[in-house]
Amino acid sequence: MKIKHQLAIFNALTRLLVILILWLMLPILVQNVVYHHINNSLLEKKKKFIEHLNQEEINDFIENPDDSTETFSEFSTLHSEFLVLSRVPIKPHQKKTTFTNEFRKIENEESEYRILQHHFTYEGEYYQLEIGSSLSEVNDLTFVIRFFILIVFVVILFITFLADTFYIEYLLKPFYKIIDTKIRRVNEPETFDHTPIKALSRDFRELDFVLNQMMDRISEVFKKEKQFISNVSHELLTPIALLKTKLENLLQNESLDDNAFDKIAGSLKTLDMLKKIINNLLLISRIDNNQYEANEEINLKEIVSDLQEDLQDRIDDREIEFVNKMQNSFAFLGNKTLIHILIYNLVTNAIKYNKPNGSIIVEDGFTTDHYFILVKDSGIGMDESQLEKIFSRFARISSDQEGQGLGLAIAQSIASFHHVEITVESELGKGTSFGLWFQKPIKS
Amino acid sequence: MNILIVEDNRELALEVYDFLCNAGYVCKIAHTCADALEEFNSNDYNAMLLDLGLPDGDGFEVLQTVRKTKSKMAVIVLTARGELDDRINGLHLGADDYLTKPFALTELSARLFAVIRRIHGFTLNNLSINGFVLQLQDYKVSFNEQPINLTKKEFDIFQYLVLNKNRVITRLQLTEHIWGDILEVNSDSNFIDVHVRNLRKKLDKHAPIDWFETVRNVGYRINE
Repeated sequence: MKIKHQLAIFNALTRLLVILILWLMLPILVQNVVYHHINNSLLEKKKKFIEHLNQEEINDFIENPDDSTETFSEFSTLHSEFLVLSRVPIKPHQKKTTFTNEFRKIENEESEYRILQHHFTYEGEYYQLEIGSSLSEVNDLTFVIRFFILIVFVVILFITFLADTFYIEYLLKPFYKIIDTKIRRVNEPETFDHTPIKALSRDFRELDFVLNQMMDRISEVFKKEKQFISNVSHELLTPIALLKTKLENLLQNESLDDNAFDKIAGSLKTLDMLKKIINNLLLISRIDNNQYEANEEINLKEIVSDLQEDLQDRIDDREIEFVNKMQNSFAFLGNKTLIHILIYNLVTNAIKYNKPNGSIIVEDGFTTDHYFILVKDSGIGMDESQLEKIFSRFARISSDQEGQGLGLAIAQSIASFHHVEITVESELGKGTSFGLWFQKPIKS
Repeated sequence: MNILIVEDNRELALEVYDFLCNAGYVCKIAHTCADALEEFNSNDYNAMLLDLGLPDGDGFEVLQTVRKTKSKMAVIVLTARGELDDRINGLHLGADDYLTKPFALTELSARLFAVIRRIHGFTLNNLSINGFVLQLQDYKVSFNEQPINLTKKEFDIFQYLVLNKNRVITRLQLTEHIWGDILEVNSDSNFIDVHVRNLRKKLDKHAPIDWFETVRNVGYRINE
């Protein structure tokens, strides 16, 4: 998931959380405000009632001949309010004014009321006054408020989410540009684009600046390395050429005795080895230094059959059976010379470490993500400790075998240059199998 | 045949010079770009061996200048191996061939022979040795007009030895000539023997070939 999406989602979630808490707290808040308001109005009414109180009125209220309960009740027409005054025989415990929420049935209609209860003494008599105000309307109102606020919140959430997404996208644009045009091309310092990226945030400008600086240094190193490699090639190989020509000319001398002749021939062989080691090391350096183009269309099936032809003499010489089971034509872009060397090295390795009358099988196939080539031999195999170091330079598989152990190091350099994975499986005494795993092109 | 050797390493230039003079060429040495161009302008050369790393410039500059003239001179570029761009460049600018350092002198003479034969319009089509005739354009060999069937590799080996007759050719040189620059270190080159053995058997049927020598365990030589 990209950072812009993560940020937008995170923002939306935190906002949602705040809104949820607010929404849950809303009834309590509303109730507090509303109750406070009702309480005040009830107190106001009580005050008026008490101020205008006299015995006559009390008697008017209470001494209704039809009513034995000594209670007076009065309702507003819509039952939104009521007032009850009753004479109580004993002095009640609580003296203060209290507020409660209770359900009352008034004229067969039950509903919730906020009720003020007040006890007082008037001319030696104890009275209880109750003033109620209906809560049903308030409850309705609270519900409506909650509903509307919910809608408002949802709208706010949606709008801010969109705004966030666009703003984050806008802010991060330079960042993605840096990734696309710079970081992805770190491996090709020659083609690196040094134009500064315009960014609103200072962080990105700094990042871009540092990246440019870093790339300057890398390309400097790359250039120096290239120069070095080229110098090494010329400065080392010219004296070798000189020695080689001298020794070859010397070999033609008729007056040489056999001993001297053999020594010169031996020197030529050593010189040849030296040349090859230098060339191999230079090859690895050149690959790692990105000096090769990778824009040729490569047909692997063709390469394997070419190789078979090239190596037939050596295969026959070792009396090995070479089985070419390549069936698929998988083409990809790369460097043909290098891929040729890569497969050549794997096959010659399979020849070198094979047993007499052994076999080499080259086969290919597809998995869901990859195209693969396997080079299997029925050779001497390797144990795990040998397997670990076969791709490192100058690692020899067994001490009694010749070779300078650069072939597989080269193979790995070439593979990673082409973003191809190279794998190896081996069983001691049974054989080894090298695999090359090519990424299938992404269908767009 | 006049050949101009352009090489800044004096010793190497001299070795090549000696070798080519022995092979019957008339040679001259130049150590710098300037010398090379001066020589080129003042004398007629059939071929030029051109080293790329010269003290006063890049060998390509010489090549470019030469190709701007009407000269038909063959140019063989000598370069340190692997500078692939250089090779492609060289062939684009009109080099006729390239050899990577360190090269075998015998390989140089074989390439020189091929290049010169090409610029002369393939007028030289036969090589003969002790009664055997090599037909270069169709890779055939005959003895007293009797054809001998050789494989491509056998023919190449035979031709290489004939072109460098009276010289010891090591197995390594032969292997490199036939299979190219094998990168593999210490690749054993015994399989070349199989081809040589077959070649000899085929030639031996027609005439004794005691002039086709095996020189100790090192290589081969054809004497004339």
